[in-house]
Amino acid sequence: MSALLQVRHLTTTFDTAAGVARAVDDVSFDLHERETLALVGESGCGKSVTALSLLRLVEPPGQIVHGSSIRFGGRELLTLPPEDLRQVRGAGIAIVFQEPGTSLNPVLTVGLQITETIHAHERVPKREARERAVELLRLVGIADAPQRMRSYPHELSGGMRQRVMIAIALSCRPKVLIADEPTTALDVTVQAQILELLAELRDRFAMAMLLITHNLGIAAGIADRIAVMYAGRIVETAPTGALFREPLHPYTAGLLRAAPRLDGPARPVAASPGSVPPATAWPPACRFHPRCPYAWDRCRTDEPSLLDGGPAREARCWLVAEPLRRKA
Amino acid sequence: MSRRLRLGTALVGALVVVAIFAPALAPYDPIAQLDLMDGRNLPPSGAHPLGTDLYSRDLLSRVLHGARVSLTIATIAVVLSITLGTVVGLTAGLTGGWVDAALMRAVDAGLAIPRIFLLLAVLALWEGISVLALVLVLGLTGWFGTSRLVRAEVQSVRGRDFIAAACAAGVGPLRLVLRHVLPNTAAPIIVSATLGVGYVILVEAGLSYLGMGVPPPLPSWGNIIRDGHPFLVLAPWISAAGGGAVVLTVMAFTVLGDGLQEWLDPRRA
Repeated sequence: MSALLQVRHLTTTFDTAAGVARAVDDVSFDLHERETLALVGESGCGKSVTALSLLRLVEPPGQIVHGSSIRFGGRELLTLPPEDLRQVRGAGIAIVFQEPGTSLNPVLTVGLQITETIHAHERVPKREARERAVELLRLVGIADAPQRMRSYPHELSGGMRQRVMIAIALSCRPKVLIADEPTTALDVTVQAQILELLAELRDRFAMAMLLITHNLGIAAGIADRIAVMYAGRIVETAPTGALFREPLHPYTAGLLRAAPRLDGPARPVAASPGSVPPATAWPPACRFHPRCPYAWDRCRTDEPSLLDGGPAREARCWLVAEPLRRKA
Repeated sequence: MSRRLRLGTALVGALVVVAIFAPALAPYDPIAQLDLMDGRNLPPSGAHPLGTDLYSRDLLSRVLHGARVSLTIATIAVVLSITLGTVVGLTAGLTGGWVDAALMRAVDAGLAIPRIFLLLAVLALWEGISVLALVLVLGLTGWFGTSRLVRAEVQSVRGRDFIAAACAAGVGPLRLVLRHVLPNTAAPIIVSATLGVGYVILVEAGLSYLGMGVPPPLPSWGNIIRDGHPFLVLAPWISAAGGGAVVLTVMAFTVLGDGLQEWLDPRRA
């Protein structure tokens, strides 16, 4: 079965004063129908740029390098003419951004922003678009939906705005929903509600979801599969359960140790030393070696490819080839 | 609504009412020479609240009708220049690159020439100035500043998240510009238009004073001041009538512009 979304060798660079930043560097992954894939990593590792690249929303000086490929439902998005691309945006692949506060146009009503998306993709009478918008607002859990149609974004709370963003994203029944840190800007209590809502709507609309988050806990609750990104590359992909039971890449292990857990004995939270290097100067060979507790000569001279690490698992780490060194 | 905005609205509203109903409000025909024997350069009195001029015309009637002429010219000129400025600013701000560079250098060139000299030069070349020509010239020389303002505003708006979000939802480019970018730049455009009306009235008065504006005997505040010029010592009320009207009107539009700015964007006030 071929995947709904096939990303191959995606490379997005930014020409900056400090040099060329390879924000996303040779990233490949598949997203199958009705599957939820979480893209996890620290700030600056290329998650969001990956999401924007999928819909060709990267603004200059950013550009997607020749040789990259994004196939959606068998069509190559990177060579799609503008009008066809516009139809894919919203109706094929929809995206919910991190900041619901700034992602809604402050001078237009909520209702107009939903119906506008519907009209952008379908020829429907105004009345029908309006009815659909009200129904969508109900679906995302907004009370008094008909009244709320006339509200402006500043009259809504952060959680409500994110619900509106989700309603807009769902308005044309996309096959893929990209959620880029959808709960980061929200209160903790609201976060849980929004995640629950996303999972529920994903099942109801039979969508595939690409969830972008820095929070492994969020990924654990909702994703079938997790891809961990570091320094512009995917360093490990695994089914969610397996990843948590036995992380193969030391970076993944570091992320897991850095997340506090409520079950199990109390232990200090440990972070990997250092931080993500700047994208204009990724370290040579294995990009994680300066922060890796296991690093040896091979890691400093050769970069591993994604090595087969068991059923449906891959990791970009020489430890997969030389497991004995893990004990040392 | 602040007091300033209320005051500005009331003053400008009153001016507009005066301009519309000038024929009903004016006690005399503004170009009728009432009494060339004994009625010239009369000081203000019960019969002529603002006095009369050299040709024994009633100054109050001339000032009231002048409001019509001045406000109409200024409004049309400003609509023209704001439209031009918005189109140019929008184009420059959205396209960027060499189009933007070329347009903005042209604007720099336009701004480098003092407007009043530019106007004098153009009007001097234009034989037998008609009011229409005056409006066109005022409009065509007034958009440089606006285009810069709009360009700056467009550049800041287009980088905002909701533009990317609308684009990601598949909203088309034309709609993106008209529905999402333009309304978010409306506040400074409105403020600039309001202040522009006051400024154009001032410029028009200046041109008419120099004899290059509204052709007599049509009353405009500028040529009322001009009519009074030879008699500044003997009959100062003539120039004062036109000058007072200009001062009051420009102030009214400035107050309204400032008030609108505060009201539309509390952060920038």
